Amino acid sequence: MAPRSMFWRILRQLLSASRGRLSVALLALVSGAAVCSALLGLYLDAESKLTREFRTLGANLVVSPPSGHGSEPALADAGVMGRIEAQRTPNVIAAAPYLYLVGETSGQPVIVAGTWLDEVARMDSWWKVDGRWVPSRDDRSECMVGRVAARELGLAAGSPLDLRSGDRSVSLVVAGIVNSGGSEDNQVLLNLPVAQELANLPGRIGVVELSVAGSPAQLNDYANRLAAALPGLEVRPVRQLTEAEGSILGRIRGLLFWTVLLILVLTGLCVLASMAALAMERRRDVGLMKAIGGPMSRVLRLFMAEAGALGLAGGLIGYIVGLGLAEWAGERVFGMAVTPRWEVLPLTIALSIGVALAGALPLRLLSQIRPAEILRGE
Amino acid sequence: MFFRIVSDSFGRKPRRKLLTAAALALGIGVTTATLSVALDVGDRLEREFRALGANLLVTPQADTLPLEIGGVDYRPVSEGAYLPAADLGKLRTIFWRNNITGFAPFLDVPVAWSISGRTLPEGLANATLVGTWYRHDVPVSDGTIFTTGVSVTNPWWRVQGRWFADNTPSASNAAAECVVGSSLAQRASVNAGDVLAVKSGDRTQTCTVTGIVSTGSREDDSILAPLEFAGTLAGQPGRYRTMLVSALTKPEDDFSRRDPAKMTPDEYDRWFCTPYISSISQELREILPGTEIHAIRQVAEGEGRLLGRVSALMWLVTFAALLAAGLAVAATSATTVLERRAEIGLMKAIGAGNRMVGALFLTEQLLLAFIGGASGYALGVVLARVLGQQVFGIAPTSRLILFPIVLALAGVVVFLGSFVPLRSVARVEPAATLHGE
Repeated sequence: MAPRSMFWRILRQLLSASRGRLSVALLALVSGAAVCSALLGLYLDAESKLTREFRTLGANLVVSPPSGHGSEPALADAGVMGRIEAQRTPNVIAAAPYLYLVGETSGQPVIVAGTWLDEVARMDSWWKVDGRWVPSRDDRSECMVGRVAARELGLAAGSPLDLRSGDRSVSLVVAGIVNSGGSEDNQVLLNLPVAQELANLPGRIGVVELSVAGSPAQLNDYANRLAAALPGLEVRPVRQLTEAEGSILGRIRGLLFWTVLLILVLTGLCVLASMAALAMERRRDVGLMKAIGGPMSRVLRLFMAEAGALGLAGGLIGYIVGLGLAEWAGERVFGMAVTPRWEVLPLTIALSIGVALAGALPLRLLSQIRPAEILRGE
Repeated sequence: MFFRIVSDSFGRKPRRKLLTAAALALGIGVTTATLSVALDVGDRLEREFRALGANLLVTPQADTLPLEIGGVDYRPVSEGAYLPAADLGKLRTIFWRNNITGFAPFLDVPVAWSISGRTLPEGLANATLVGTWYRHDVPVSDGTIFTTGVSVTNPWWRVQGRWFADNTPSASNAAAECVVGSSLAQRASVNAGDVLAVKSGDRTQTCTVTGIVSTGSREDDSILAPLEFAGTLAGQPGRYRTMLVSALTKPEDDFSRRDPAKMTPDEYDRWFCTPYISSISQELREILPGTEIHAIRQVAEGEGRLLGRVSALMWLVTFAALLAAGLAVAATSATTVLERRAEIGLMKAIGAGNRMVGALFLTEQLLLAFIGGASGYALGVVLARVLGQQVFGIAPTSRLILFPIVLALAGVVVFLGSFVPLRSVARVEPAATLHGE
C-alpha cells in the first residue's frame, strides 16, 4: 500500500509544483483539443447541413401516374396525399400536389396550376415574390400569378382576376407576382380545391412533388418506401438534381475530409512538440529518482501518469471550448448551430491523451543515461 | 555585434532552430495549402454545379404566353415567335465568351407518328418531337468551330445506343436520325433501328431510331431529332423557340442584385466586368435582338447559397490551420526562452537592456519565420497540388501573390507567439539566474 500512496503523492507534487510549465503544456493541449473537436463536430455535421441547403433547389422527388404522359389527364386520387403524409419524416421538407388545367381569362388562355400554396412556399423558397405568398392552402379567394403571365394579362399584386374553364368560373384576387425563372412564370397558381372545381375534377390531382433532404442513398431509400406505399404509381427522383447533388456533395466531403485531416495531424504534431519539450525538462527529476533507487519502469510510469492526466484534462476542457467554437462556426457558416455529436468527446480525449503520452515517450531514452551525469548538469 | 550574436546563436544550436523552423514550415505549409484551395474552391465547384444544367433561358420577346404543362407546349406551331439559329456562333464572340460553356436551342413540334410496318396502340399516335442539338458544330466568326448542344447543357441525359448524328447538312434526306424517350419507347416498343414516320400538318418525314434516351423529365415521352429536322417538319427551317445557355457565373451578392441602371459609371464598369448572371444576360440580350433572357433562378440561387457556405467553411478551416501554426510557434518559442534563461541572465549582467535582449530574440525568431515561411510555402504548394488532385482531379492554380501574404502571416504568428515568452525576459534576474536557480 505504501508504494502506491507514494506514487500518488509524487504525482500530486509534480502537478502542483511547476504550475507555470504545466499551464503552458495544458494551454497547448486545450487549444489543440479545441481545434480538433470543433473541426470534427463541424465536419460530421456539414453533410446533413449541406443536403438541407440543397433543398433550396426545390422538388427532387416526383410522384406521378405510371408512364405519365404529361398531356394526359391521368389523375391520381387525392387520397394519395394521405398516404404520403403518413410516410412523412422530418427529412421531408415539403410535399405539394399539382393539378394543371388550361384556363381562360378575358379571352386569353393561360395555364392554371392548383396546389397547396403553403407547401409550395416551403418547397420553392427561392421564388422572388412581389406582394406576398398565399399563407394557407384553404384560401379560396386569392391566387399568385407568374411574372410573364402577369405582364401579358396586365396584373399586379392586389388586382382582381376572373378565371374561366368551360362554363365554370371563379373570381380571385392576386396576392403576389412570382418570379421563379421556370415554367411558373407563365402560370396562375391557386389552391387545389379551387382548381379542382374549375376543372370539374373534384378530389383529383395530376402529380405530387416532394422536396426531401438527405444523402442520395437516403433519398433512394425514401423513394423506395414511398413507392411501396403507393402501389401503381411511379415515384421518380428528379435526376437533374440528384445526380448533380451527389457529385457536388462528394467533392465537398472529400475537400473537408482532407483539409480537416491535415489540420488534425498538424495540431497533433504541434502539441506533441510542446509536450516533448516539457518532458525533456523532467530529466533532472528522472535522474534524481533513479539516483535514490527508483526502478526505471516505475519512474516512467509516474511521468506517463502525469502526461496522461494532463491529456485528460486538456481533452475535456478542449472539448468544451471546441463545442463553443463549433457553435460559433456553425452560426457563421450555416446560419444555424451545429448539433453536438457525442462521438466527438471520446475521440477528442483519446487524441489528446495519445498525443500527451507520445510526447512523454522521449523520456524512455533516459533509461540509458547515468543519473550522475544528469545531476552534474550535463 | 548584434548580428554576430544572432548568427552565433544559429550556428551554436542548429537542431533547436531547425525544430522551430520545421514546426513553422509545417504550419505555414498547411495554411498555404488550405488557403490556395479556399481561393480556388469557388471556380472548381462552379464547374461542378454546371452538372445542374443550364442557368439561362432564351425565349423570343414577342412571344405569346406559353401554354406548357409538364414541359409540353400546347400552342399550335403557327402561333408564337421563332428565333434564327443560324448566327448563334456569335454567342462565342461576346466579352464573356469563355464563360459560355454551352448552349442548346429547342423547337417542339406536335406530331402524329408511326413506326414503319406497325400500327401504334390507341392514344399513342400523337407525340411531341423535340428538335435540338446534341453535339453540333457551330461556326464562330473568328474561324473556329464551337461544338455544343444538350451534351453540355443537360449532362445527366443518358442514351442507350447512340445519339443522332447532328451535322448532316440536309435534314430532309432519308438518312435522318432521331432518338426516342425511354418512356415512350417502352410503351410503343420502339427499338434502335426502327424507322419512324412523323407528320406535322401536311409534311411527313422519316427518321431512323439510333438510341433510347432517358432524361428523368418530360423528354422521356417525346422523340428527339436534330433541330434542322424539326425545323423543316414544322415549316420553320433554321429556327428555334427556346434555348438553354450554360454559363459560368459568379454567385449573386448584394452588389449584383442592384439595378445596373442606377449605378455610377465606376460601379457599372465593375458590374459589367464581373461575370454575374445579370451582366451575362445583359450582354446576351444585346447580341441576340428580339429575345428575352431569363436567369433560371432555381439553379442560380441555390448555387450562390451553396458556394457561399462552402467557401465560408474553407475560410474557417484555413483560420484553424493558422491557429494551429501559431500554437506550434508559441510553444517552441516559449521553450526557447525558458531554456535560455542563463544566456539571457548573462547578457543582462554584462549590461544588455530588456529592449536589447528582446530585439535579439525577435530578430532570431523573425529570421526563423522567414526561413520557415518560405519552405512552408513550397510545402504548401505541393500539398495544395495533392489535395486538388485528390478532390477535384485538377491542381489549383498556384498563386505567387500568396507568397508575400504567407510570409507576412508567418511573421505575425511568430511575433504573437514570442510575445508572451519575451515578456518573461524582463523578469529574469541576472544574479539569480547566474547563480543557477
